[in-house]
Formats: sequence, C-alpha cells, structure tokens
Amino acid sequence: MTTLIEFRKATLGYGRKVVLRDISFTILDGDYFGLVGPNGAGKTTILRAILGGLKPLNGEVVLHPGNNRPLTFGYVPQRDSIDEILPYTVEEVVAMGRYRGIGLLRRVSAADRQAVARALEHVAIGNLRDRPFKDLSGGQKQRALIARALASDPQILILDEPTNGMDLSSRISILDLIKQLHDDDALTIIMVSHLLDDVANHVQRIALVEPGVFLVGDVDKVLTGANLSAMYHLPVRVDHLHGSTVILTGGGHGHH
Amino acid sequence: MDTIDILTTIVKEFPYALWGSILVGTICSFLGVYIVAKRVVFFGAVLTQVSVLGLAATFLPFIMIPHTIGSLVVTLVFAVPLSRLLTGKKIPRDAVLGTVFVTAIAARLLILQKAPKVETAEIDNILRGDILFVTPDLFLLMAGAFVVAMVIHLLFFKEFIYISFDAETARTQGFRADRWEMLFYVIASGVISFATHMVGDIYVFGFLVIPPVAAMLLTRRVKRIFLISTLIGIFSPVVGLFLAFTFDLPSSPAIVAVAFAVLVIAWTVHSFRER
Repeated sequence: MTTLIEFRKATLGYGRKVVLRDISFTILDGDYFGLVGPNGAGKTTILRAILGGLKPLNGEVVLHPGNNRPLTFGYVPQRDSIDEILPYTVEEVVAMGRYRGIGLLRRVSAADRQAVARALEHVAIGNLRDRPFKDLSGGQKQRALIARALASDPQILILDEPTNGMDLSSRISILDLIKQLHDDDALTIIMVSHLLDDVANHVQRIALVEPGVFLVGDVDKVLTGANLSAMYHLPVRVDHLHGSTVILTGGGHGHH
Repeated sequence: MDTIDILTTIVKEFPYALWGSILVGTICSFLGVYIVAKRVVFFGAVLTQVSVLGLAATFLPFIMIPHTIGSLVVTLVFAVPLSRLLTGKKIPRDAVLGTVFVTAIAARLLILQKAPKVETAEIDNILRGDILFVTPDLFLLMAGAFVVAMVIHLLFFKEFIYISFDAETARTQGFRADRWEMLFYVIASGVISFATHMVGDIYVFGFLVIPPVAAMLLTRRVKRIFLISTLIGIFSPVVGLFLAFTFDLPSSPAIVAVAFAVLVIAWTVHSFRER
C-alpha cells in the first residue's frame, strides 16, 4: 500500500515543552488507524502535526500527495468544541465542508448544495437537513459532522473522539458508519479515542501514545495486556469473547 | 406639536442625529450577533471604555490630535492584543475583558487628573454621547466605518460564520482562524470607537447586545437573526428619538429603552411559542 503520511523521528511539542520524542510511523493508503492513550498523552498533538497546525521540533512529518493532488483531510472534531449558540441548520453546517473549495468572495453554488445533499444521504440524515444542528441528538450531530468532512471530498478522514459521551446504540451506529466509510468508500481513517473497546474492535493498526511510550503496529500485536498495564499503571487483560476483543481491568472483574 | 411636526423637526433640524443613530444602531446590531455568538458580550463594554480612554488622552497638553483620532488609535492598539488573548486559552476570556475594562477606567481617571485643559463636563458629554449635536465630520467618519465594516462582513460572511462556529475545523481546512478573528475585532473596534464618540457608551453597548438577543428569540435561522437584529437597530433609534422629543427625554437612553422594549416583546413571543 502507498504511504500517505510519514513521521520520521519527529519530536513534537509546544515551545520548549516536548510532548513526544523521536516518533516514527506511517499511515498507509486505506489504513484504519487508531490513536489511543490517556488524556494529555499527545494524541491531539499528533493530529495537529498531521493537519499541518504544528511543526515538529525535530525530525519530519511528510505528507505524500496522491493522484497528483495535495493530500486532503476531512476533520471531525470533538462535538463539544463546537459553539452551538447560533442555530445553524444541518445543511448550513455540512456546507461549511465546501468552503475551502469555494474560495474567498464566492458563494455556495448549486453544485456545492448537491455535494452537501449527497454527503447527508451518505450518512443517512438527509431528512434532517433543515433541522437546527443544536437540536440534534449526539449521534445525529456526529453524523452531521462526518457529512461535513465528507463534503470536502477528502482522502483521509480524521475523527477526534467520535463516540465520546454517546449511549451504546449511538456508539455502535457511529462505529458501523465509520467502518462502512472505510470498507465501502476506501477512505483512509484515523480515529483518536480513549475508549479502548471502540478502537480494539474496529481499527486495523494502532498507536499507543503516552509520554515516554509510543508503540505502533497491528492491533493484535500492540493491544496486549502487558502494554496496556504498563501504559495505565494498573492490571489490564485483553481477552477475546465471541470474536470481539474485550479489555478487562483490575484482575478481570471490571470493564474498562 | 403633533406627531408629524415632531418627525419633521427631527428630519429637518437634526438629520445627523437621526441618520447617525440609525447607522450606529444598524452596524452595532449586526456586529453584535457575532459578539453574542462568540460569548464575548462584555467586549462591547470594554471597547467603549477603551475608546473613552483614547478620547481622554487627547486632552493631555502634549497630545495634539483630534478626539476621534485619539479614540480610534487607542482602541485599535488595544484591539490587536485583545483579539489574541480572547482567542487563546491561557487566560479566561472574562478575566481578560475585566482586566482591560478596569485598567481603561483607571487610566482615564489618571489622565483626567493630569490634563489641565480638560473640563469634566466636556468628558461627561462625550462619554454619554450627544446624539442631537452630531457633527457632519463625525457623521461622515461613522458612515465610512459603516460601509467598510458592512462590505467586509458581507463579502466574507461565510468565513466569519465558519470561524465563529468551529474555528478548530476551519483551521484544518487552511483558514487562518486567528487572522479572521483579528480582522473581526479590529473592525468591531473601529466601529465602536467612532460610535462611542458619536452616541455614547450606553447606546453602543446596548445595541451590541439587545437586538441580537431579541433576534435570537424571534427566529431559528442564522441569516434571519442577522436581518432581524439589524432591523431592530434601524427601528429603535427612529422610535427612540421620537419619544425623546415628545417627552423631553435624553435621546440615547430613550433609544436603548425602545430596544429593550422590543426584547421584552421578543421574549414574550418566544415564551408563547415554546408552550
């Protein structure tokens, strides 16, 4: 598979503060890649470096353009980072995904509106287009934000804690949608999550991120009890039940 | 005098008061939607105080520039770092605004103490804003600020709403969110500077807050919020000036009171709808 993003001995941080030192890994075309780690470990720092908002203090972060065009990202932020005081409709929110392509001094065209309608249908919320975004449920908001990312026609979809704060059915529904985008649309997916179960059962490759520790590889090899115990400083077991990976803490009685 | 006589008098004798107060009402009500949406309502109050500080500075003997220019320069000088601090996360926004607010007032009092040519009544008049005696020069400056602010906001409407809704994602799409934020605050600061000199701090702060809130209660569409807020900004000065003439009231407070009455009506309508 083609390499899309390459971290070459990259040291990431802010000013003099180093968050992650000398990390090297690649994101491949068609990857479903998970970034996992405790809060404050540096997951968002890696995202910023990928998205170009943070230059490495040392080393390199190389983006490899594909098909003679620059690498394009669709970004799905954490829902609580969005200010909902103004009642934008779902259609208006998704249209924002087209703004970069529209450019300055130009308005949303009929073609843009069609792209927005397609994106909404793709995530199965075409019926919500005129509803205020702020009135949607958590799962519907997440679908709208994914539609906005898709409306920009990205090569890589980046999701920051997409299932955070959701009930079980919404979580499963969103994870199924992301899997569908990966499997059916061949989108490269990077998902940041602190919910180990979500990541363990969906992504193909994973990076465990913690200050001083950076492990990357296939899920089965990286997501082990030994690695997680070392990362979280408590006993963690990784079991398999009916084909699913289950993360257990505290000697197997608690569910992480 | 009957209603027609009063309206005729306002239009003929005080045209700059009428059109000036409409200009300020319109632009402040429009920009106020962003200010309320950004949750920096106190920004309006702070900038009016900074603007008055700039005015006060022009009373110092060694500063030989017109009041309006002094006010504009000081407001813009504050606006740039203020915009950075308001978009950063190191210091809470209300702490930033509170600090600038109290510092601007303290600095003004210090300056006035040491400004021999100052007359307290003159500063008070400027602070309150004397709508009826708006000069043609000040009106033209305000009209210029109005045109610049409206043109920029209408041309870059989608960029401004994107940044105010989700700056983080906008940044990932190549929008320089910090620069757009700074442009917004610089424009708002210029408008607030001229407007404060023209109509006073109560009027400016009132119209940055009251019409947007009323509009948000009346409609659930973003473009209509801008439209309705702006219409309230046009309607309230006309009615307020009429009432001020009719009942011999100070004009700025009368206009703000009309805007507040509209807010009460909007809240009542909203409450009935929600039932």
